[in-house]
Amino acid sequence: MRTRRNSIPATVIIVAILVVFLVWTLFPIYWMFVTSIKKTVHVFDLPPEIFPSAPTVEHYLELDQGSIKVSIFFMNSVINSIGTVLLAIVLAVLAAYALSRVKFRFRKAVSVGILTTQMFPLVVLLIPLYLLYKNLHLLNTYQGLILAFTSFTLPFSIWMLKGFIDSVPIEVEESAFIDGCSRLQILSKIVLPLIIPGVVATGVFAFLDAWNNLLFPLMLVSKPSMKTLPPGMILAFAGEFKHDWGGMMATSVIVSLPVVVAFVLVQRFLVEGLTRGAVKG
Amino acid sequence: MQASSAKIERTRRWRRNASSAFTAIRFLAPAIVVMGVVILFPIINAARLSFFNYELTKPKEIAFNLFKNYAYMVQDKLFWHALKNTVVFTSLTVASGLILGLILALVVYELPRRLHGLRGVLLVPWVIPGIVIGYLFMYMFDVEIGVVNYVFRQIGFIKEFLPWLMRDNLAMIAIIITHVWNQTPFYMLMITAGLMAIPDEAREASFLEGSNRWQEFRFITFPYLQQIVVISSLLMVIRNFNFFPIIFTMTGGGPAYATTTAVLYIYRLAFERFDIGYASAVGTVWVIILIFVSAFYIRTLKERF
Repeated sequence: MRTRRNSIPATVIIVAILVVFLVWTLFPIYWMFVTSIKKTVHVFDLPPEIFPSAPTVEHYLELDQGSIKVSIFFMNSVINSIGTVLLAIVLAVLAAYALSRVKFRFRKAVSVGILTTQMFPLVVLLIPLYLLYKNLHLLNTYQGLILAFTSFTLPFSIWMLKGFIDSVPIEVEESAFIDGCSRLQILSKIVLPLIIPGVVATGVFAFLDAWNNLLFPLMLVSKPSMKTLPPGMILAFAGEFKHDWGGMMATSVIVSLPVVVAFVLVQRFLVEGLTRGAVKG
Repeated sequence: MQASSAKIERTRRWRRNASSAFTAIRFLAPAIVVMGVVILFPIINAARLSFFNYELTKPKEIAFNLFKNYAYMVQDKLFWHALKNTVVFTSLTVASGLILGLILALVVYELPRRLHGLRGVLLVPWVIPGIVIGYLFMYMFDVEIGVVNYVFRQIGFIKEFLPWLMRDNLAMIAIIITHVWNQTPFYMLMITAGLMAIPDEAREASFLEGSNRWQEFRFITFPYLQQIVVISSLLMVIRNFNFFPIIFTMTGGGPAYATTTAVLYIYRLAFERFDIGYASAVGTVWVIILIFVSAFYIRTLKERF
């Protein structure tokens, strides 16, 4: 194919724009990290130190020494997020398969309904949900949080997986159907292995959703020992600790690290999943 | 004989339909039950509560009051202020994010293939948890030790340090900048996907016909991207209408009500004023507005498929 070649001025402009964007994107992340390894006295330096003169890990060590232990929030976040990923994938694969392959009345209405619930503001349902959870004894439990996280991640998961299942040729299934396989067998033995990239991408999104969610655990969990990281941070850096920037940034690094690592590992799948699921419907 | 074979055929078809309806229910039920319990039931309950006088501080005065909450809303200046804030915040955030994301996508697309890995790096702000972004930018916008003030003063942008998060318009600007930082990668991702869908032949033809770079963008690239731009902006309008954690951590909706968007207003009504009835009424109105926007979004999606 013959295409335009970049002239030298054009290349210069492209590189310049790119550098600006890289600085804009990476500087805040760098700043978070660099503050987390500065001694407390240097955090308040002016002009601020761009490179820490005496790096230290003291802020990281302090995270677990006070009355509020970040490691407990971390464990809770891990448990809730993994639980959400597992539950969401099972429910979403089943639902997506039905919406993609099974013909039934109201199929359109159901798909649109699922898509619409994604748009609901979480704030509105906090109080009724709190009352409901109180009656069901789900407050301060892992099950309660996992259920809440799952419900909000399901619409997107279903739509994304539906996109993947749509792209599996139906002939593959027909032959299995004639051989007498049940729907569930077809789904688990034939379709599922073909959509692994989609399942991974969906799982990562569910993980991000659960890991980042602030409002549900803020409302539905009052016991400090059951809190996840986002409400835990609010608890840890309120009042007198409001200006403990070093500790705050160290916690921020800890909170961000798992999602950034997960994201980098599956980035390829994620982009594919988004373009197939979200862009192509 | 013929009649009976037709009958068999009909039964078979009926069985197939019945079994597929049964399969659909079986497969969909778990997801729908979970969503029904956590989302639908509470939403309906919120709508019911919106007709009640329900303040947690006055448990004895809980009573049905029909439209009193709604009547109050019409003349509640803070409610209209929160709506205005939401519109300002959302439109500026979406417009800036979209433009930056478009530029970014086009620039990265021009790079040689081996540099496309940069995309992964540029996407990172999008996955960082909202609460972390809130705290990080609160720190960077701090009046005394914030790096933003320092850098701006060094390059002569400002003369003295600005109290970013403590002055009305500045707080809104800081919040918008923060969200744009967070969201630009999303637009880049969507627009990149759109760019990849443009057939090479189209670009080649325009090149061979001697179009310049701008003409190629205007007549080839842009028309192809139009739909994806519309879809991702609509999606982000809805998302920004509901965004909570960053504003909550950075300003809590303040100073006073300067950065209180609709969702923050609902939260503050419920958990600062403990006025559950009125909070539910505002929430119900907000859900109705969102359903309208979503309907528009879904129609746009459908037109395409």
